[in-house]
Amino acid sequence: MSKSNRFVFIALNVVAWIIFVGLCIEAGALLVNFVYSLFKPEVVGNLYEKLDLSQIYNINQWVYFGLYGFILFISVLKAYLFYVVIVLLLKFDIEKPFSNFASAQITKISYVTLAIGIISFVARQITMGLTHYGFDTSPLDRFWADSKAFILMAAVVYVIATIFKRGVELQNENDLTV
Amino acid sequence: MPIIVNLDVMMARRKMSLNELSERVDLTLSNLSILKTGKARAIRFSTLDAICKVLDCQPGDILEYRDNAHSGMTPE
Repeated sequence: MSKSNRFVFIALNVVAWIIFVGLCIEAGALLVNFVYSLFKPEVVGNLYEKLDLSQIYNINQWVYFGLYGFILFISVLKAYLFYVVIVLLLKFDIEKPFSNFASAQITKISYVTLAIGIISFVARQITMGLTHYGFDTSPLDRFWADSKAFILMAAVVYVIATIFKRGVELQNENDLTV
Repeated sequence: MPIIVNLDVMMARRKMSLNELSERVDLTLSNLSILKTGKARAIRFSTLDAICKVLDCQPGDILEYRDNAHSGMTPE
C-alpha cells in the first residue's frame, strides 16, 4: 500500500471513530432525555440540543412517544452503523481485502443504511401528515432530512457489497490455484 | 470433481518426498499439499511443466479423468 493510501486509511479510521463517539453521545443523550421526560414531563420543552416538543406533548402524549421513538431508533441505528464501519476498518486487511468478513460487514452496512433511510422516510411522511392535525413538527425535521440520501447510499453500498462477494469468490479461486 | 490428481502415486514411484519436490519445483509445501489432496481448483501450466520435469513424467501421469457415473462417486 502506498504512503498516501495508508494516510487516507488512518484518517478515515480517525474520522469514523469521531463520528461514532458523536453518534453514541447523541443516542445516549436522547435516551436519557426520553427516560427523564417519562418521570418529569416539564423537560419536553428543553430536550437534547434545545429540542422543544412541548407543543406535541401537550396535544397528544402518544404522538410524542411515537415520534420520539422514531428519533431514538434512528439515532441508535446511526450509532450502530458506525460501529459496524469501525469493526470493518479495524479488521480490514488492505493487502488481502476480499475476505468473507469484509463482505459480510459491507452487506450489513448496506442493510443498516437502508433501514435508517426507510425509517427516516416513514417518519418524515408521518410528521408531514401530522402537520394537518395542528402538530408543530418543524423541530423534528433535522432528524430525517436526509432519508433519501440514506436510501441512495444503501443502494450504492449494496452494489459494492455484491462486487465484494464476487471478489471473495475470485480470491478463493486464486488461493486454490497452484 | 472428476479430475483426479495422482501426484502422490508419481512421487512414490520416483521415491521423492513432498519436501524435496517442493524445493525442486519451487512451490510452497502448502500449495503442493493443496494439489496432492485434490483441493486445487486450477493448476498453472508453469507448475505442471516444473512437476513433469522434476518427476520425469507426462501431465497424464499426474492428472486423470474419472467419470463419476462410472466410478460410482457423487459429484462435488
